[in-house]
Amino acid sequence: MPQVTGKKRKGILGAATLVFIIAGLYWGLIKAPPDAYQGDSQRIMYLHIPSILTAYLSFFLVFLGSCLYLWKREKRDDNLAHAAAEIGVLFTALTIIEGSIWGRPTWGVWWTWDARLTLTAILLLIFIGYLMLRALVEDESRAASSAAILGIIGFLDIPLIHMSVYWWRTLHQPPSILRPDKVPWENIHPELLTALAINFVAFVLLYFYLLSHRLRLSEMREEIKARRMN
Amino acid sequence: MTMAMWGYVILAYGIVWGAILLYAVALKRRYRAAEHELQRLSDAKEFQEHAKA
Amino acid sequence: MKLLRQTLLLLRKDLLLELRRHESLMTMFFFGALLLFVFNFSFDLTPARVSELAPGLLWLAFLFTGTLGLTQLFEGERGNHCLDALLMSPIDRGALFLAKTCFNIVLMGLVELVVMPLFWILFSLPSWQPLPALFLIVFLGNVGFCVLGTILAAVTLKARARELLLPLVLFPLMVPVILSTIRCMEALLRSGELGDALPWLRLLIGFDVIFLTVGILIFDWVVDV
Repeated sequence: MPQVTGKKRKGILGAATLVFIIAGLYWGLIKAPPDAYQGDSQRIMYLHIPSILTAYLSFFLVFLGSCLYLWKREKRDDNLAHAAAEIGVLFTALTIIEGSIWGRPTWGVWWTWDARLTLTAILLLIFIGYLMLRALVEDESRAASSAAILGIIGFLDIPLIHMSVYWWRTLHQPPSILRPDKVPWENIHPELLTALAINFVAFVLLYFYLLSHRLRLSEMREEIKARRMN
Repeated sequence: MTMAMWGYVILAYGIVWGAILLYAVALKRRYRAAEHELQRLSDAKEFQEHAKA
Repeated sequence: MKLLRQTLLLLRKDLLLELRRHESLMTMFFFGALLLFVFNFSFDLTPARVSELAPGLLWLAFLFTGTLGLTQLFEGERGNHCLDALLMSPIDRGALFLAKTCFNIVLMGLVELVVMPLFWILFSLPSWQPLPALFLIVFLGNVGFCVLGTILAAVTLKARARELLLPLVLFPLMVPVILSTIRCMEALLRSGELGDALPWLRLLIGFDVIFLTVGILIFDWVVDV
């Protein structure tokens, strides 16, 4: 079984992450021109779109870990779910903050109940509920199983939540408001797409870098526990 | 108008990378604590085995 | 079908217990009615506005009374290791899930049968005609609520701060149910028929079917906990 947490791999991953983060910052803040419609505030999208994607990636990993754990009962899978949830909360919260800050110059308000922000907020609540459940259930294996159930149900519910929130908003929202998903992608300047792509890779690499370290932490804690028993 | 825009951009980038950095630092700290504990436990075990011998 | 028979058996037990002691039902009734009173003081419910706000207010009341019912769902099995006994018996876990879910649906249904007409009386709504259809929609919403609620109630059984944790994990997951039922109820109150709200009804039924199935399949792991 290839060691995800091998030191050398982490070193390479870390270096690659750093390179892409720096490249992303350069491209996003300096090289790419300001957007024709939104001006410089569009640069926040270079953070926002990768953030959303890592948030959903997180949730998928929570789902995966949960399913595997219920099936095989291996602690490693539970660790994956827990770590993914923890980092997922971070990226989801950041997504909301980015969306809010982007919204301020664009719509003039710090918050609006548009589909994307609302959905991200619900996702955050589900993540937080998951972590609280883990924290509040006494027995450890019970906590793992309970969390796994919640992780699976939450994941299955997400498409339904998506649908209901989007329907709710598309029936009420006046069409004149500019939304991130309404940007005319065909007319986008290639520099903007490059900046987005680089930042996207940076975020994914960063995510897995943080995840691998968090997993290693879980492993160490287990070893501590095992040694204390002896 | 552009200056105000940049203000928001810097705010967003600042918060995001700041938060990520903070999380990484916190993670590192927990890591170090766990390493420390592991070291302590393995030292204690060595001592025990020495004492038995 | 064996599953059905076991479900009915367990359901009958819970209903009989409830009939004798009225614990859950009475608190739920009272709480639901109390909320209506609070609404009166919290919102300006003139006859003009009340039809608009009715679906939302009713759902608020049902969410809270339903949660009350959920926290007491496994109370009967608490003492004397009853739950362990149930789990050791050859009863299908899916049946236990269905029985508990149906039990809560019945409780909520009974409360709604009283609270909705009460709402109509207290706030002088113009027409009683939409009530049966409204009740049907609310019932479908119940199913969704109780299905997820039962799974989560079982999962949080041994958690600290359970009364707070259960709503915290349940409510975000309930968004599709809340949105669909309220949209359908609004349409019914506005025009007496679903019309545009039909997709919402389909979403609601889809939700119920999906999680009913998931619940039956997953409950083995839930109570193994």
